Amino acid sequence: MGEINTTMKNNVVFSGNLDFLSLAEIFQLLGANTGCGVLRLISEYASEPAFVYFVKGNMINASNHSSTGLDALYSLFGWTEGTFEFSQEDVKIKKVINKNRMEIILDGLRMLDDGLIEKLGTGKFKKKLSEDISKTETELPIIKGPLVDYLYVVDEEDFVAGDKIIEEGKHGSWIWVILKGTVDIVKESSQGPVTISRIGEGAFLGSLDSLLTRNSKRSANAIAAGNVQLGVLDSQSLSREYSCMSHEFRDFVIILDKRLKEVTNKTIEIYNKDIELKHFINSGKTVIKQGESLEGLFIIKQGKASVVRHTKSGHVLLTQLDKGDFFGHLPFLDMGHEPYSASVFGSEDLEIKTVDSDNLRREYENLSTTFKNILENLANCIAATSVLACEFKKKTS
Amino acid sequence: MAVFNLKKREIECKIVYYGAGRCGKTTNLEYIFKAYKKRITGEMVSIDTAGDRTLFFDFLPMGLGKIKDCDVRVQLYTVPGQVQYGSTRKLVLRGVDGIVFVADSLEARRKKNMLSLKDLQINLKEYNISIFKIPLVLQYNKRDLAEEGIPLMPINRMEKDLNGQLKVPSFSASAINGDGVGVTLKECLKLTLQSLHRELKWAK
Repeated sequence: MGEINTTMKNNVVFSGNLDFLSLAEIFQLLGANTGCGVLRLISEYASEPAFVYFVKGNMINASNHSSTGLDALYSLFGWTEGTFEFSQEDVKIKKVINKNRMEIILDGLRMLDDGLIEKLGTGKFKKKLSEDISKTETELPIIKGPLVDYLYVVDEEDFVAGDKIIEEGKHGSWIWVILKGTVDIVKESSQGPVTISRIGEGAFLGSLDSLLTRNSKRSANAIAAGNVQLGVLDSQSLSREYSCMSHEFRDFVIILDKRLKEVTNKTIEIYNKDIELKHFINSGKTVIKQGESLEGLFIIKQGKASVVRHTKSGHVLLTQLDKGDFFGHLPFLDMGHEPYSASVFGSEDLEIKTVDSDNLRREYENLSTTFKNILENLANCIAATSVLACEFKKKTS
Repeated sequence: MAVFNLKKREIECKIVYYGAGRCGKTTNLEYIFKAYKKRITGEMVSIDTAGDRTLFFDFLPMGLGKIKDCDVRVQLYTVPGQVQYGSTRKLVLRGVDGIVFVADSLEARRKKNMLSLKDLQINLKEYNISIFKIPLVLQYNKRDLAEEGIPLMPINRMEKDLNGQLKVPSFSASAINGDGVGVTLKECLKLTLQSLHRELKWAK
């Protein structure tokens, strides 16, 4: 296939935009035209292009990511945005698809409408997952955010109960703010899906690391718990603001985002009961003791550290820190961790450096309301997820 | 929007059977497929959509003559009525040349028919097609059920309900026995081809 990629630019005879001419229509046109060649599809929501191979107007094979043949072809009906290029050439690839063209088209669209094919990017995958989520009996509090700054909302989207807004493991870079309703954040575990948080009006969906990389992967499912209205955030403005921040503050944002993901992963590990804690605590030294009043903020130059909460049912590992991560007292955000609500244990070789938290605070105060809100929401989610981790610990011990 | 296929010297046009779920659209197409087997080149594609089926096949009507020295090939479709099948409906209705609206004669389905016709009008509007201008034929289906004592709406009532403003050709039918299926399709084909002729003259 690599060979095709390099040679195809030269003989592109037909190209355009998928939101103008849908895949179904392209298939019909190429069919009527008895075209032979390769159709190449590019979507910003997929990490690599997909290919459909035509002989005499019929689709004979396809590839999308790791799948090939009919499966790959059907999955492409979910590509409703993006671009296509058809290059006329001799196709020497093996014919594996024998189904009638029109049958594929009508069946593909039916599956798309039935929610059996994922619609790429727009997050409208309607897999009714919500029914088997009630596994966590714990009533989760709904995390709400501050007032929405509509200046950053560029579009609105509506969802109904059970709609899968984000799917774990898929690529996507949109960040949304919830305008109405509640969304469940659900992660897969070895014992099935677990609801790790419920977020409501003013809270954000999506990860800040999508400002850094185009190909960021979704770390959890987001499922509408009822009628939900989301506001799509102006990611260009956010990116611009992000790129104007100081180097330190950018690191800080990313580390905060990473900490939420870490805490979430640890929570799932506790839920799965596959965590061995003693090792972390016994092998290291106490750097911060839970409950102590400490003002400093530190960055790890070398070694590792663990953030651990003491509860009645034992120690709960909330997150592990590496070189480049920070810990300590944050004067402007409360994530419910060290120093008041968790201890930090360091490895033998731990080396830390003090960070000027006043500089960070000044920069934080000059941020746009939306960016401030996103960070505040991140800290709230870290705090709430940590509480859930302790709940799970209580249940499993 | 018929498609001229210069390679095959064919004009391809699209006729869609529309109507509420279970009104007999599929039965119409199944009968046509059986009865005109010789003129049908491809196979029938049948897709199971919730509560209904979506059908498609290609059809070469005889005796219609040629347009601009091209054969006329007709694609026949049914469209799933359910709201959720937006993508399918969009594909099927885009570039439609003629429509057969199948109405269910059962008294209990009176409202369903009217809603479906309204729905057709709205869907066509999305493609800037006026229901008053597109070649359209009505079919009052399931007339045979009267013999079994099932209450049916009288034809004049259905005419008033559905055809009061449209004033298009209408036929009673019993698609399950094939009664009225052929005349409905023929009339729709005639109107569609007349309309194509008109458009082509405009284009000159």
